[in-house]
Amino acid sequence: MDKSASSADDEKAPTTTSTRYRSKVTTQTLDIQPPETKLPVQVEQDAWQVDVEKEGISFGVTTLVFGVLSVLGFFVFDAYTTLSANMAEHPIGTGVLGVLLAGFVVSFSYLSLREWRGYKQVNTAMNDAQNIRTLLQEKRDPLKRSEMRVKQVNGVLNEHGKRFSRGSYAAQCFMRYQQTVQDDMSAAELLGLYEDTVLAPVQEKAHKVLNKESITAGSLAFISPNNLIQTFAVVWISFRTIRRMARVYGLRPSTAGNWKLLKVLAQNIAAQGVFDLATDEVANQIGGSLSAKFMENSAEAIAAGALNARLGRALIKLLK
Amino acid sequence: MQKNIAALLDKTLAAASLTGDKLADVFSKETHRFTITGLSRSGKSMLFTSLITMLKSRSEEGYACLPLLRYLPPSQVLDMRVEPLDGYKAFPHQENVAALAQGQWPSATEEAYGFKLVVRLKQTATFKKHLLPHTDVVFEFIDYPGEWITDIPMLSKTYAQWSDSTWAQLSSGPQQYYAETWRQVINQFDFEQPPTAANIHALVHAYRNYLIYAKREGISLLQPGSFLLDSSDFNWQEFGFTPLPSSITSDVSHPWYQAFNKHFCAFQNNWLTPLKQSIFKETDKQIILVDLFEGLNHSRQHLYQLKETLSHLADTFVYGQSNWFSRKVLKSEQIGKVAFVATKADLIPVSQRENLLNLLHQVSEGARAKFKDKPIEFEHFLVSAMQITDEGSSAQAIRYTDSNGRYVESSFEPIPATLKDMEEGAHFPVPSAQVPNDYKARILAGKGVDRLLQFLLGKGE
Repeated sequence: MDKSASSADDEKAPTTTSTRYRSKVTTQTLDIQPPETKLPVQVEQDAWQVDVEKEGISFGVTTLVFGVLSVLGFFVFDAYTTLSANMAEHPIGTGVLGVLLAGFVVSFSYLSLREWRGYKQVNTAMNDAQNIRTLLQEKRDPLKRSEMRVKQVNGVLNEHGKRFSRGSYAAQCFMRYQQTVQDDMSAAELLGLYEDTVLAPVQEKAHKVLNKESITAGSLAFISPNNLIQTFAVVWISFRTIRRMARVYGLRPSTAGNWKLLKVLAQNIAAQGVFDLATDEVANQIGGSLSAKFMENSAEAIAAGALNARLGRALIKLLK
Repeated sequence: MQKNIAALLDKTLAAASLTGDKLADVFSKETHRFTITGLSRSGKSMLFTSLITMLKSRSEEGYACLPLLRYLPPSQVLDMRVEPLDGYKAFPHQENVAALAQGQWPSATEEAYGFKLVVRLKQTATFKKHLLPHTDVVFEFIDYPGEWITDIPMLSKTYAQWSDSTWAQLSSGPQQYYAETWRQVINQFDFEQPPTAANIHALVHAYRNYLIYAKREGISLLQPGSFLLDSSDFNWQEFGFTPLPSSITSDVSHPWYQAFNKHFCAFQNNWLTPLKQSIFKETDKQIILVDLFEGLNHSRQHLYQLKETLSHLADTFVYGQSNWFSRKVLKSEQIGKVAFVATKADLIPVSQRENLLNLLHQVSEGARAKFKDKPIEFEHFLVSAMQITDEGSSAQAIRYTDSNGRYVESSFEPIPATLKDMEEGAHFPVPSAQVPNDYKARILAGKGVDRLLQFLLGKGE
């Protein structure tokens, strides 16, 4: 029995001899250098910060500066007209003020446009999330699982991932997912990987951020000297929670979502107010001692924390 | 029953004498014993080397490899260490990595090595984490020469049975082409001569030459495989034996039969029985490594012969699922999960891997039939311990650096999806690639290992 690899002398050819075996592999030498395989990405310690790192001057600041400059400009212009009494004779001053005002208007318009686009994108992202939920359900069903196609799953996951805002935790997780994907993975494995590297960590991070914010809300309520300051503190921490959670998910709540959140926020403030009245009354009944004040503030702190957690959960429900 | 009660009593007494730390181990340690059954050249040593490298790089350097291994989430791994396994020589991981760094593949396993991988995981359960802050997941691996495993089925045979079945194999399949010289030796041998040491040595030497030749030609069912390795503790030079013609094995009074029967019994009692007890004992997970390329490189008969070998090997193990009681208290394990793994999967284009997987399904049919009525989970996997090939210019091609240092592209005709589709008179020469310079990155880019471990460790997802 003779076999020999006719096409490639570098291949391990059988050595026995009696029949000549045809090689089903053809090999040719290439005139290029082999590519170097890169080491996989290192998953560094979780160094993601909920607050955005400041990179130069933001558009918000620019807008404010333009606004302030415009106001100042008008003051100067007023002063200038008062002094010169003849506007037509001083076109440069008028031009400068016009440019500043134009800058303000343009920046403001851009901000508005960006917000509008962001809100629109969120609705599409929510549709994508629904598609992912459907795929995850199919993955758990052995019959449907075998029908899932890699291309279809890839399409849905990539569309979803593309919408995460730059610098968000979700975007960071999505990048890690993309770096881990291998070409031999099945549709179900891709989904599982997406769950492990994007959906689960984002959810976990959101809960961590929410816990931290709720503790901050409680602490602020505890140290607030009066109810007015406490209400302001609660409102401020609520907005900060919304902003930070949006940074985790890489999405902003949509217009409808914002409305729902505002409702929750209003209910929280009202509940906080009612709770203040109740704790004041209890404190009055048991006397004005330091321990009574301590008890009152502690109760308010717990309430503030719990209400903030309620807001956070509503937010997670919207963005999940 | 009496045995079980005695074992339980022993365990109770042992538990009573445990110190606090050891008692904590009972609850915070999870041990998985893997038996890796692979024939010679199936890539066991490289798989172990890659596995350790991948797990270490993942836990110590934070490299995002083994993405589908959900059982050991990187965020929960505190540290990982390799420890020797009692009664075994330490696995030469460092030496193997050093060999790769010098452009050489790890040398073939010629003796049994054992090692433990201990992965310490953060405890996540709310209450348990206050009592036991971590869990140790212990993996016990044993690497042993593939030649030894093919001998284990000989334990259940008498010398005459073994001799007759060996002659049947030598007269059929691809073995018949390689056994011609051996047959001539037997035909010309004068069995009227007494079985002196010199005569026995001459016959054993001729049979061993056949074994060496057949092994080189891709035959996997070679018995006794232990005769091929000098590292085997059995003295084959003194107690060697060969198959004898049935005219002799049917006559129990024949001096040659008596001599070889005695040697065969010595082989069973002094070598195989202790070997099976020490290596193939309690285990709950089995990985059967299959090198399909050995068959594809040769012929369709070689693939059928591989199927037959796997079927024989499946007799060796104790199949059945062990429960908590038997596992933790009686410490008696039975194989509950079996993975059939085709190694070196990167040596064919991605487009052909589905066919390779189908071939693996077919080749494992006989072995699977052995645990058909038992509660065994099994799955088939394609694994590349190191991604040594790159994408080619077409879906049917791969690129790699060959053993002469040239970067080449190999284009494949379709790999057969079934054994009967393997064309007679044609073969798929195995690409002989050299160790790439970026071997570490290519180990970490290896595929299928995570899928395999997740199947064996996971609880049926």
